[in-house]
Amino acid sequence: MEEPRPGLKADSERERAPDFDALPSPEEFVRGERTRDDFFDAVLSLDTPGTAKDVAELAGHGVDAAREYLDWFERMGIVTQITESPATYERNQEYLNWRRAQKLREDYDTAELLEFLKTESERVDALQTEFGVESPEQIVISRYAASSDQSIEKVWERLAAWKTARRRVSLLERALSIESGDGADLQSVA
Amino acid sequence: MTGEDENGSFPLSGAPVDFDRLDEIRERLGSDSRFSQITERPEFAPERLICVYDHRFYPKRVRDASLEVAWFENGDFSVHYHEDHVDGEFDHRWDRHPSAHNSRDHIHPGPDAPTPGDDTTHPVDWRDVLSMVISEIDGRQRGFWD
Repeated sequence: MEEPRPGLKADSERERAPDFDALPSPEEFVRGERTRDDFFDAVLSLDTPGTAKDVAELAGHGVDAAREYLDWFERMGIVTQITESPATYERNQEYLNWRRAQKLREDYDTAELLEFLKTESERVDALQTEFGVESPEQIVISRYAASSDQSIEKVWERLAAWKTARRRVSLLERALSIESGDGADLQSVA
Repeated sequence: MTGEDENGSFPLSGAPVDFDRLDEIRERLGSDSRFSQITERPEFAPERLICVYDHRFYPKRVRDASLEVAWFENGDFSVHYHEDHVDGEFDHRWDRHPSAHNSRDHIHPGPDAPTPGDDTTHPVDWRDVLSMVISEIDGRQRGFWD
């Protein structure tokens, strides 16, 4: 990245430099502190099926520890086992969505969730009108960009926004379908 | 690596924002004293994180600096660093997403993050991408005080 241009630099007479050497290195804090963080981060990266060895490498720990965490995560639903021999695992997005819906139910009351749902549904409708098809799966980015005279990036961004809004709608609908006395007895639902 | 997949077409239609990864990123960056504030909108399922740098790293002529992080379920991302100066601004972007003029991995270097950017190869692991980005910004911040 570029150096700051000279005119922007600090006035060494009047301004005091921060103590950069006291900062923790980014390599440390982006990784979290616990072994569990390492393994959770590793399985969040599993967009395609990975073995215990792959997970161990991603997590920066041994294969035995990876197997233990994978067993535990599988019992919790965080990963799904995809193949038997060798055993491969994939991040279980379905579970992560379920967990988020539960959390939405805990954090917001019905009126708030309905308000979010209204906003997100409107966003989905607007994007559907913009693209002129029922679902984002029907759009091929490069083809749509060429035919609508837009950049690939622009279409990529709009399409991701559409998928995100649709995901939010389904999370909110799911949260609203969970029985609730608006925060009173959530624990009993799970 | 190019913007095209093995069938010669752009990966079909992108992916939604990875809310779970953004949650982890918010937790990690939020624990570091480089940032004074991290906001996400909307809060119930964030689209991107706005991580505001603490003022102490910048001379007075830089009014504000922040890092905007967007991550998607297929591993695409867009990380945007922005400085607001008394007399202008500075932008730098690290991207992984389809584009007609660049490979999937590319950067748009400052001063106004122009298109097209430069082809590059970012680390595979999302944590390595973030620490690379923050290290580069650390370097620029030190440059203000040389």
